[in-house]
Amino acid sequence: MAEPSTIQTLEIDDGRDPSVQEFINNMLASLIHGLSQSPTEANLSITLKRRAGPIACILNPITAALEASPRAETYRRYSWPGKTAHEAWKFTAILRILAILDQAIRTGQLISKRDIYYIDPDFFRLQSIVDRIVDDLAYTIGVNRTALNVEAAAKGLVTGDFRLIHDSHVLIDAQSVIEDSLIPRIEDGDKIDISRVRWVLVIEKEAVFHRLARISYHTRALAGEGIMVTGKGYPDFMTRTFLRAMSDSVSSQSRHPPRFYALTDGDPHGMAIMSTYKYGSAAHLHQNARLSIPRLHWLGLRVTDIIAVPDVLGDTALLSLTTRDRKKIMAMLRNSPVWAINGPEPEWRAELQRMLVLNLKAEIEILYGCQGGLEGWINRRMFRQE
Amino acid sequence: MSKQYLSRGSVDNAHIVDIFSLAITDKQILSTSGASSIKVHSTTDADFPLVQSIDGAHTIGCHHIVTNGNGSRAITAGFDGEIKAWSCQDGHWAADTKVTADLNGADAWAIALSEDGQYLAGVTQAGRINVWDLAADGTRIRDHETKGSFGTCIDLSADGRLIASGHEDGAVYIFTTETGRMPFSLSGLVNPVRAVAFSPKSKILAAAGDSKVIVLYDTSSGEQIANLAGHSAWILSLSWSDTGEYLLSSSFDGKVKVWSMETKTCVATHSETDKAVWNAKWLPKVGKTEGFATAGANRSIAFYREATG
Repeated sequence: MAEPSTIQTLEIDDGRDPSVQEFINNMLASLIHGLSQSPTEANLSITLKRRAGPIACILNPITAALEASPRAETYRRYSWPGKTAHEAWKFTAILRILAILDQAIRTGQLISKRDIYYIDPDFFRLQSIVDRIVDDLAYTIGVNRTALNVEAAAKGLVTGDFRLIHDSHVLIDAQSVIEDSLIPRIEDGDKIDISRVRWVLVIEKEAVFHRLARISYHTRALAGEGIMVTGKGYPDFMTRTFLRAMSDSVSSQSRHPPRFYALTDGDPHGMAIMSTYKYGSAAHLHQNARLSIPRLHWLGLRVTDIIAVPDVLGDTALLSLTTRDRKKIMAMLRNSPVWAINGPEPEWRAELQRMLVLNLKAEIEILYGCQGGLEGWINRRMFRQE
Repeated sequence: MSKQYLSRGSVDNAHIVDIFSLAITDKQILSTSGASSIKVHSTTDADFPLVQSIDGAHTIGCHHIVTNGNGSRAITAGFDGEIKAWSCQDGHWAADTKVTADLNGADAWAIALSEDGQYLAGVTQAGRINVWDLAADGTRIRDHETKGSFGTCIDLSADGRLIASGHEDGAVYIFTTETGRMPFSLSGLVNPVRAVAFSPKSKILAAAGDSKVIVLYDTSSGEQIANLAGHSAWILSLSWSDTGEYLLSSSFDGKVKVWSMETKTCVATHSETDKAVWNAKWLPKVGKTEGFATAGANRSIAFYREATG
């Protein structure tokens, strides 16, 4: 059981608020303790501090901001099995959300309230119920929602020529989209048509995506028309669902299916993000089978790509690994079957090891300065992979 | 004057990922890679057969392997941070659990073993240089601090008198083993150093790395004797021939060069691959013929011998 604790230490090192993990650990510990007691003594309950309703707000005279009145906080206790079926269900819902948040925090995954709801819509019943529990948990712990690794809404962006069809109605025809738009939610029965493009490029970083979108790379690439997607770091479920729907649509196309490429930083996080797109995340194992994209190819960035041309880019283009980077790589090699010696990606394994040996990493932005810029590099690289 | 080295064959796909390190004994070549096993090939047979595979040696791969002079002991450093010892009897290798246990917790990235196999020197990611006495339960007998830059490489002189380390910030240090002092400070390189190697008679220290030149230092004065320029990519490894007449270097672009110490020029260049050659080492002389082995990102071990007559 040594491994999980290493991961946990690493994540706390990451500058996250340790009070969140502490709260979750304490909560789980007290529940487990309660389970070991006799039913009459046991106190299986979760107490949440509730945000004040609109009536209890005051206008703080010092900050001139709308704030909660100091006495307006209320506490609610949810026990198991509780007095009613509703209370039992509510207790379970809170516990399940805690478990989801715990995994998200420990694996560094960002998750949205919608993601949580869609893990089990039948159980959670309403999006607003999930929203409320997440907000109450954040309020109870005394942190911002982002400290729980929960983000507002869909965060992925897409640009390029695709059509979203439901029951032969075209819901979205993205041909007219100029720069970018939020990734649409894919519902059951939706079909995506990407038959007009030659490639789909999945980009780790938002800034890189915008740079390429601004020059309309998706219409000007040497490889033909394409679609660009970014999940802004670790992708959320909506981004992965959208990509998977595109990938599924390709399977049914016959000739010259578009190629799917990943463009991430040449560092452990970049590799882990690519792995999340292709194989799924360790935090949501039960979701991965319907979200993975096996056809995803590694476009770059490899550390070796940069070393090959250091004279052009200058040696400042390369960065040393931090201690945290090295620990992350070792944890990836040790814990993930994706990087295992008999795993599916020996090249990925070798790349992580080369990073360790050279003590180097490379960021995509380095390519802005190479011959033909980032777009020139992608053009060349896509042709090499054809 | 140029020399010719002919391909003597190769062990293709000896490992399934990059081979990072080679160690040579009188009859064998040991290799470690990003895979978990240590492979032992015979160098006395013409087709270099695999004689042993030590499976599961380092689960997440092994970046350094070193052997002592008579080939009775090997030490490996794995990506998991573990240092392990191995011993050889009648050509067969086995785990040396006693020494491995003694070295438990020893921190080192690059390692070097003394000629007699008694002393293990290592340099850490934080640039610290340690020496352990393997005949005294792995007691750490030296602990030198440097400026804290990643220690990429280390070597012990054959006479056991000196230790040299190379660092990511370009620094090269020499310590006297007896006193633990630095006899002088070396000028170092501008870019990361990736290989240091003492000549067989311990008179010259060669250092090389991302600056693409090999710098030769006089170990009695610390003065630079020569700069060997010719590589057009980062230099990853250095190896001296038995007599000290030739220096072998390998680089990131797949090139391997042989340098004459007499003329201080490159006398042979090989480029069988365009992938990084992580390690190149001279083999024991067969008669009067010298030869070497190379390995790296193409996953194979290639053998060369001097063209005679």
